[in-house]
Formats: sequence, C-alpha cells, structure tokens
Amino acid sequence: MKISQIAGFLGSGKTTAVMKIVVELMKRGHRIAIVVNDVGEINVDAKFIESHGLKAKEIAGGCICCQIAGTFAETLAKLHDSYDPEIVIVEPSGVAIPWGLKRAAEYSEAKADMIIEHAPVITLVDATRVDLLVKAVKRLVETQIREADVCFVNKVDTASPADIAKTEAMIKEMNPKAEIAHMSSETGLGIIYACDLIETKISPRYDEAVEEELLRKQYKG
Amino acid sequence: MAEMSHIERVMAALTNAPADRLPTYPIACGVNRKLVNGGITYRDWAHDPKLYAQAFIEGQKYFDFDFAIGLMDLSVMAGDLGAHVRMDEQNTPFVDKHMVNSPEDYEKFQVPDIKKGRSAVILEGTKLFCDDLKTKVITAGFLEGPLLALTQTAGAERTFMDMFTNPSAVHKALEVMTAYDAEMVKGFGKTGCAGLCWDYLWGNYSCLGDSEYGEFEGSSKYAIKLNELTVKEGMALAIHNCADLPHLDTQIKKFGPVIYSMAYYPLIPDSPSATEAIEKGYADNCLVAGQIDPQLFIRGSVEKITQVTKDLCQEVKTALCKKGLNARYCIASGCEVPPDVHTKMENIKAVVDTTKQFGKL
Repeated sequence: MKISQIAGFLGSGKTTAVMKIVVELMKRGHRIAIVVNDVGEINVDAKFIESHGLKAKEIAGGCICCQIAGTFAETLAKLHDSYDPEIVIVEPSGVAIPWGLKRAAEYSEAKADMIIEHAPVITLVDATRVDLLVKAVKRLVETQIREADVCFVNKVDTASPADIAKTEAMIKEMNPKAEIAHMSSETGLGIIYACDLIETKISPRYDEAVEEELLRKQYKG
Repeated sequence: MAEMSHIERVMAALTNAPADRLPTYPIACGVNRKLVNGGITYRDWAHDPKLYAQAFIEGQKYFDFDFAIGLMDLSVMAGDLGAHVRMDEQNTPFVDKHMVNSPEDYEKFQVPDIKKGRSAVILEGTKLFCDDLKTKVITAGFLEGPLLALTQTAGAERTFMDMFTNPSAVHKALEVMTAYDAEMVKGFGKTGCAGLCWDYLWGNYSCLGDSEYGEFEGSSKYAIKLNELTVKEGMALAIHNCADLPHLDTQIKKFGPVIYSMAYYPLIPDSPSATEAIEKGYADNCLVAGQIDPQLFIRGSVEKITQVTKDLCQEVKTALCKKGLNARYCIASGCEVPPDVHTKMENIKAVVDTTKQFGKL
C-alpha cells in the first residue's frame, strides 16, 4: 500500500488539491482512500467522498510519538483489510511532522498483511500568502518544507510573479534538495504532474537503520 | 550503598545527594488499566475516578515504579470546555470538532465547573491514588498548560495563525485557559499529591520561537503565574515536554522545575540527547527524565528494550559523572507509554528491572 502525504499549512489549498488529485488517480484506475488529520479543521466534502466511492478515515491531532502513531497505524490497517486501497492520500494538519507520519504508517505493517511504501512527500506553499506565512508560522512552514521531497508553489494563477519568485527562493533556502513545481489547485495546473509523482515515484522509508546507527554512535561516544 | 526506598531515592535525586541508583518511571498511565479487573476499557478508566486510581495502584504493585503521575489524555480540558471528543472504547480519545471557527469564538470560552466532567474524574482519581501511594512513591498530578488546552480546543493550525493575525483574541482565550488551569491547580492542591506536572508541549522550536512562546505561554500572565501558584499550593513543579526541539532554557532554567521530562528524536538535527541535556547544565538544578522511545513499548522485544535501557543507563551515568552530579536523571519514556491494548507490559517491567540492575551508582 502506497502512502502519499500532501502537507501544507491551513489555507494552502490542500483540500482542493487532494480532491482533484484523487479524481485524477481514480481516472487512472487506482483504488484510493483518504486519511485526514485534525478532521474538524478540514472541510472535506463528505458528499464528494461518498459519490466517488472513496474511503475516508480520520486521525487525531496530538502527539505523534505516543498517541497518534497507534491510531494512524490502526486506521491504515483497517483500511487495508476493509478496502485494500492501492494508494492512501494522507492530508496531515499543518502541525504534523512528515517523518512522524511515515514512521507511524510503517507500524501498520505489524497490524495487517501488507508492505508500506511512500510516494514523494508533497508540501504545498501558498504563494499569495508567503509574507504572512513567514511572519506568522515560519517554523511550522519550515518544518514541512524541510521534510518535503517536492514543494508545489500553489495558487500561481493569482499570485504575482514577485511572490512566486519569493516563495521559490524561500523553499530553496529551507530545503535545497527539494524539487520545486507550480500548482493551481483551483485551475488544475500541476495536478497531473502531482499524480505522476504519486503514481511512479518512491520516497525513502523512515530509516530505522540510520536511527540505530546514530544511537550506536551516541552510546559509543 | 544500601538499597533506598522509592521516596528516599527520588528525594536524593532531587537534592543531588548520593543515591543507590538512578530513579525510573516509564510514564505508564492509561496502559495500567490492563491490570484492573482483568483489563477495563479506556472509556471506563477515563470516566470513573475509582477505576482511574486503581490503575495507578495496580501499576505500582506490578511494576514497582519510583513515581506515580496521573496523566489521562490531552482531550480532558478541551472536552470540559465544550469541544466534542471522540471517545472510543479503547483508543486514546481526541477532539474531533474544534470550537473556533472565527476570531470571535475565542472570546466565548468560559471556565467550566471543575466538579463536573473529566476534570472532576482526574481530581478525585488523583486524590484516591495519592491516598494509597503517597507513603510509597512520589506522586504527582498532570495538567495541560494553557496554550495546549487552547490548541486542543480551537485547533492548533488556526491558533498558530491567529496568534499573528488576531493576537488579542487568542490572548483573551488564553486568559480563560489560565483561569481554568488555576482552578485545577487549587483542586490538585487538595489531593495530597507531592507535585504537579505541566504539559507545556508548544515550547518547541519546530513550532514557536522564543518571542512567540514567551508571549503566548511563557510569560507572567500564563505559565509563570501557574508555576508560582503550583508551588504556593504546596506542590513541587514538574514539566513534561515530548517535543523534538524543546525550549530548555525557558522551561528548565527560567521556569525552574524540580523535574523535567523530555523525549529524544535521533533523526532530528539538534534534538537534545540525554548526554547533551546533562552536559549543557540542564540537570544541574533539575532532575531530567527521559528518553526511551515510547513506541518501543509496543514494537520492541524485551531483549531490545532491555538493551536500550542498559545503554541509556550507561550513557547517563557517564555524563552525570563528568558533571559531578549524582542521580540527576530518571530513566523514563520520552512520552507516555502508549495506552494501547497491544502495549507489552513485559517491556515496561524490563525498563524498571534493567534500571534496578544497571542504574546502580
């Protein structure tokens, strides 16, 4: 089962993008499920989900190290057993940490007969509010950009060229390794490319081996 | 050195006097319900003060901890403030409908009646387990700080954004959360617990810088006021923060708790390890507790968690020795032992037993 995280801060256009990505992936013949975090804050269109035969599950906001990890893993295991989706789109809250969700997703392997792989972690950054984001929630945005494989500069249809350039520069500074692409979740620009990434690319698993090595060095040191 | 009692050991650790070994407390709270009447549901445990207390009493008998700290979950205050909490039979409950949809909503909060709801369960349950355990171990209540209570109730993303766009509205809500916390502190003061442990989760550099944290929790209007009230009500100040990049200077050096519980994330650059916390002086005047990965209690084998505990004991003893400190580190989980039905009780026992053997000083 492939897990695709689409991250971004509140108002980044995540929900609109997720819905269009889901439609496109279904057109391509995939069986899709959606998992949302902090469900109360995200206006997932329940009718849309029902009418397209998707499965939506929610996980709680809270502490990834103790509380959420188990709930998230349980959610994925139940989805696998009841619906067997090929791709699970995860729409985490803006305060969720992508590595934590990767790790928690992999815990579900112990609860169901499946292997988890990860699509590239996608983070959406709202180019029309880049100044506000930097002033208001820079550290949270930075965490999500730092952990992304691909950052989509979103709302490029309404953002000024200067704001788009500023957003790209910010992403490069925070995560030089991330690929940068453009999106307008409203017009659909970038949705096909996002689906191509989700469908064909793989992001590394949470690396327990690296963690073990770091701990080993620490103890030996 | 002769074996000390739990209380003697912890008092030695708190005062940096010689101790027989490092203290230990895997933060096993909700998981202890598995020991009550052959195993009860989370829902029952979280709504009945007698069952809540019984879990800590049975946990103490079974595991032989050095502390008993009454943590329930992070939706208690939000639920009593009016947010809808999804309460499954066994999963950790959580808020599934936040209460803030516009800036005006921040001004609608009111301090709930702490004699009702799960606030009352915690206060009454804490009194019951303290009555039973206070002569055996150091006991403490557990309380969400005002910013955590607000984000659980209003939603964290919205609150963080509104801190910038509508700060006065957020402050008004935080004043109510602080008043609610103050009522709870007074309530805990009557339970007989020796300490009160605050969850100040958002003092985390992944989320907030010093100035934002200082303005929205770390000031004399909020946390400092509550810390002082804690001491005034006769309880020792403890702080728990399982974040990846905790504000240690503020929360240890400025707030001055006697115990600070923290987690460790090896893959996060600058996440402070036990050695670093000790080397940088955070254990000089405070008993630091941590940092076993909570997920090991579900996923790890007894052999693995035993080895991790052994390694942590060795690491900590080496670091303490270099700093000329005694037992200023408590072998604990970095966050609550997952209150999951699949958590392995034998792993909790292994941490305690390994610390008894390899934590000797």
